[in-house]
Amino acid sequence: MKNNLKVERAKKNMTQAELAEKVQVSRQTINAIESGGYNLSTILALKIAEVFETEVQIIFELEAKDWKK
Amino acid sequence: MKTNYLLPNAFKKIGWVLFSVGIISGLYSIFVNESPALFDAKVFAFLVDKFTLTIGSKNTEFFTIYENNIFDELICILLIVGGIFVAFSKQRIEDEFISKIRVESLIWATYCNYIILLLAILFVYGVSFFSIMIFNMFTVLMFFIIRFNWAYFKLKKTANNEE
Repeated sequence: MKNNLKVERAKKNMTQAELAEKVQVSRQTINAIESGGYNLSTILALKIAEVFETEVQIIFELEAKDWKK
Repeated sequence: MKTNYLLPNAFKKIGWVLFSVGIISGLYSIFVNESPALFDAKVFAFLVDKFTLTIGSKNTEFFTIYENNIFDELICILLIVGGIFVAFSKQRIEDEFISKIRVESLIWATYCNYIILLLAILFVYGVSFFSIMIFNMFTVLMFFIIRFNWAYFKLKKTANNEE
């Protein structure tokens, strides 16, 4: 899964810590999502989208490899 | 409502105190190999085997009063209660990613624990086997605590490096 979290954060001029606080997770979690090391839950994806006032699919995109078993 | 069966964060500190005291007294009990007379007590037992003078014969009593040194019982309680407090109280921010690390660590710790036990079953005999069984009562908690905290520490470190 690709993510544009860094870009969206930059647009809003928001640090990882600020985003983390807004969506009630730790900064490490935001960092892990950004680096692609963690597939977040639907609810967290929706919360992040709400903070950035956009759609989930703008921030997170499926990749071909996600379909491979 | 989310149920995650975890204890409040405040239990972590209490847990570390109990667990540390448990480990220190445990090591004392292993190396000094004597139980302070202070801990001689009469206890209520659901079940106790009283060995009689005739070697090999024993009689089992139910619901009785039994004289015992409770030093080892106290150590076990400290290690188990302290260990559970340390292992299963929430992190300051307990989120879904931490839960993932928690689950992974628990699986890892369970594997480790039973691999060691299997090896002991195969290759260790006599009284030493029972010593390993005693250690095995606590190792699943210890392995979990080590693995989880190590993963958490690593996570914190990488997160700090990247911003």
